[in-house]
Amino acid sequence: MNHDNYDPDDRIAALATPWAESAIAVIRTSGEGSIGAVDALFSGDLLSCESKKMCYGMIRNPESGDALDEILAVPFRAPGSYTGQESVELYCHGSLPGIQKILTLLFNKGFRQASPGEFTFRAFINGKMDLTRAEAVQEIISSKSGKAQSMALNRLSGTVEKRINQFKKTATVMAASFAIQLDYPDDEVEAPEPPLAELADMKTGLKQLIDSYQVGKIYQEGVVIALAGRTNAGKSSLFNLFLKEDRSIVSDIHGTTRDYLESWISLSGIPVRLYDTAGLRHSDDPIEEEGIRRTRELMENAQVILYVLDGTVELSDEERALISDESRQELLVWNKADISSRDIPHGVIPVSAVTGQGFSELEEAVKKRIFKDSAGAAGDAVIDSLRQKELLERALSGVEKVEEAIHNGLPVDILAMDLYDVLQALGEITGEVSSSDIMDTMFSSFCVGK
Amino acid sequence: MDFDAIVIGAGHAGIEASLALARLDFSTLLITQSLDAIGRLSCNPAVGGLSKGNIVREVDALGGEMARLIDESMIQFRILNRSRGPAVQAPRAQADKNLYARLAKQTLELQKNLHLFQDTVVDILTDKSGTVCEGVVTERGRRFTSRTVVMTTGTFMEGKIFIGDFSQSSGRLGEPAAVGLGTALRNRGYTVGRLKTGTPARVRKSSLDFSKMEEQGGDATMQAFSFFKETSDRPHIPCHITYTNEKTHKVIRDNFHLSPLFSGEIVGTGPRYCPSIEDKVKRFPDRERHQIFVEPEGLDTEEMYLNGISSSLPELVQEEFLRTLPGLEDVEIMRPGYAVEYDYLDPTQLLPSLESKRHRGLFLAGQTNGTSGYEEAATQGLMAGINAARKLQGKDPLVLSRAEAYTGVLIDDLVTLGTQEPYRMFTSRAEYRLSLRHDDADIRLFPYCEETGLATERMKELFHAKKEGIDEIKELLRQKRVSGNWTEDSELLKPHVGKTAYMTLKDPAVTMDGLTEKIPELEQFSLDWRHHAELDVKYEGYVARQERQIARFQKMESLLIPEDFDYDSMDGISIESKEKLKMIQPRSVGQASRISGVRSSDIAVLTVLLNRPQGQKGSLNAEQTR
Repeated sequence: MNHDNYDPDDRIAALATPWAESAIAVIRTSGEGSIGAVDALFSGDLLSCESKKMCYGMIRNPESGDALDEILAVPFRAPGSYTGQESVELYCHGSLPGIQKILTLLFNKGFRQASPGEFTFRAFINGKMDLTRAEAVQEIISSKSGKAQSMALNRLSGTVEKRINQFKKTATVMAASFAIQLDYPDDEVEAPEPPLAELADMKTGLKQLIDSYQVGKIYQEGVVIALAGRTNAGKSSLFNLFLKEDRSIVSDIHGTTRDYLESWISLSGIPVRLYDTAGLRHSDDPIEEEGIRRTRELMENAQVILYVLDGTVELSDEERALISDESRQELLVWNKADISSRDIPHGVIPVSAVTGQGFSELEEAVKKRIFKDSAGAAGDAVIDSLRQKELLERALSGVEKVEEAIHNGLPVDILAMDLYDVLQALGEITGEVSSSDIMDTMFSSFCVGK
Repeated sequence: MDFDAIVIGAGHAGIEASLALARLDFSTLLITQSLDAIGRLSCNPAVGGLSKGNIVREVDALGGEMARLIDESMIQFRILNRSRGPAVQAPRAQADKNLYARLAKQTLELQKNLHLFQDTVVDILTDKSGTVCEGVVTERGRRFTSRTVVMTTGTFMEGKIFIGDFSQSSGRLGEPAAVGLGTALRNRGYTVGRLKTGTPARVRKSSLDFSKMEEQGGDATMQAFSFFKETSDRPHIPCHITYTNEKTHKVIRDNFHLSPLFSGEIVGTGPRYCPSIEDKVKRFPDRERHQIFVEPEGLDTEEMYLNGISSSLPELVQEEFLRTLPGLEDVEIMRPGYAVEYDYLDPTQLLPSLESKRHRGLFLAGQTNGTSGYEEAATQGLMAGINAARKLQGKDPLVLSRAEAYTGVLIDDLVTLGTQEPYRMFTSRAEYRLSLRHDDADIRLFPYCEETGLATERMKELFHAKKEGIDEIKELLRQKRVSGNWTEDSELLKPHVGKTAYMTLKDPAVTMDGLTEKIPELEQFSLDWRHHAELDVKYEGYVARQERQIARFQKMESLLIPEDFDYDSMDGISIESKEKLKMIQPRSVGQASRISGVRSSDIAVLTVLLNRPQGQKGSLNAEQTR
């Protein structure tokens, strides 16, 4: 229970945008005196700048007088800020060395690097948001697509809470049936029937909710899809087709060694990191070998591999083997289907990267592969935080222990203890049972700067 | 000052408080309305029961008297709930009421430093500031000054009894109420509420036909409640069980309109867990019968107690429905059942030491605090007495945690949550009950007894002998291994050959008694110790799990809140929470988190504020300091 590094009196600073090259990066600060402290490093006049208005100027090292960057700064006066405290946001150029220089300067001038989730922690303790909201904020912040965001919002509306409260109610009823045996002697009150049916129901329900975490995680963290296949099979065209279909392209950056192209796309709301592994198995050149190694690694980490076949040329032996391999992991794509005159083998998806023909079928197939057994769970309660999953697992393990204890004929004091664990775990999810531990765990999983 | 301490009331709380103070060498005056009514068991003639038996043993381990009194006056002993696991078992004894009271009075009379005086207290005395209690004023106009006062007035404060349409100002039937004190305390700003409880008729033994009832005997061995006594050698008297029936219920239903409970005469809240028979019939119309225990009130009395059928219906109605019970056809009522309504002080006005927040030096204990039960009263009386003594000694109060004693659960619940009905202890109120077994109350609490100074040399000797004995038993079990020839006449041990006896004992089917047959060295230890060690070993794994829960709990408990903490400077928390925190003045973040209506986010703010370096009290909000 160490809140020292969450001391809300410190001035804190952190990069609020991803640590990556970009056009603009945002550095956020919070804490009493933030405006004055930034003003001392800023050529503009922040002190007289209105709250929530942009102010132009240079960031300078006051000792050397060096200008570090040309920026826009926005002062927020308490309580009108995200954290409820005095804050400044700096909009600077998104070069990594430049960001680093500004942060270093801030850290030298009385700001401390914010701990994970510390901005939200401050918002929370200043009454800007409650516990369940605070947790969901992280999801909104880090969600990479619309669906993930709506899932996080859904939690705010309490679908999961409703479900968990049902479990809690069941568990409470059960606890009462144990309590009566704890509180009244056996010659006065007979033991009620052991609640085996309720336990079984609860187990099923808990498992469903735990499984929904996979779905939640997919929307939350996204999946990796890699395009593979022979040169000229049309990987790049397919890659571009995916990009073209998705209007919400986040970025399109070249892999550092140019082994592959990657891009974030949104596939019906699922954030997808799409890789075009152009350059696979080219030559014996050691640099290329390194490239091949990386590509392999990438393929291993991909949840879905789209193997692109050229529908207009003869299949290689390797490709033929792949088609006849029932247990293959790859999804096979029959590209150039619009101009192919060959018979399309069974289980292969015909697509034309040029006309877009077959693309929606391909999309469906990819989604099916992503979710495998876990249901899409649209509209149903879906958990998407690891903390919730772990607590539900604790509850489930408690329920299983109660069941086991009943089967082993253990006395009711043990059953009651296991059930208490279940109640505690469920209570911790809905925020009813708070302990400093939850706070520590939860806030340390928050992304820095939000 | 006339005395170091004054104790008001000589019921179960007053007995413990006055003895503790006098034994710690403080000159103590005990004022009671009647010297003939010390230590009365006003309701059922029994001490102990589930969780209550644990409390009696806690009182004993802490140096109190209750266990010794019941050990010398019991007429039946049973361990309850043998079928339901050791953590929920507890001892219960039928008491010879008159003997119990006589022994209690005798003990007080023989106690050095303790003065007994018959009078009725009508008000307290305070210093000029009005915040420090300095004594009491009595009905007859006497003023006694003292450095501390312990108030244990039970059901007597503005007590009023009801039987049908009859009502009278009384504390117990035939005994006048303590009139004036409740009003005086109201005038001094205390929140005073009304509670209600009830008691059944007492009937003449020779008018009953026991052949029509089930007999319920006690255990063959009368174990002592006290850790400092081995067994009780007392007469065994059985109880009997009979049942109500449709006829009984009809009589009761036909007379609902005559019950002061339903007519609105009684305003106080009664206990849901111990309803009157009219309540039971009304609330559970589908129940075909209710179990009634017929319990002897003593060896030298004809009076019998009808447990489970308390009533405030008119006397003749009581007689009518009682006569529908098998074995009670010719019953002769000696005292009717009645309801009693009384003043209690909202216990959230107390600190966890049981000292009043309003008047320093004034301690409150027992039924006055809204509890019910002899045991609950006794342990509060003991804690109030100990803490009054510690105040006199200039020491920090002794506050037991929820994880170490039912007493801790009881007092924490009272001062943190208050109570809206007579508060009775229940096993399920204790989160960590596996660690609160009745048989290890001394292991848990005797160190405090040594610390407070209530432990005698003999008690210390016995305690340490037991502790070492149990350790030796466990050591012996670790050394011995199950050998092949042990299994010749014991199938149970077959899977355990080669294992230590210690590990083998964890098998639910293996018992200490069984192992003792194979390890004769164990016989040198008392049966009691062996069973204690057995439970320790069998439950070790579960207790370890519980201890992890306790460790989490203790973390919050150990975050103490200074007494002068300025809640007004906390920003970002609800006004409701702020008011509640200011009212309860929790001792720790743990206690604060249990206050109803205080949100978890408010606790988070509190935690952060407490964790900040010294000299940085106050606002979290930057705006205020701008």
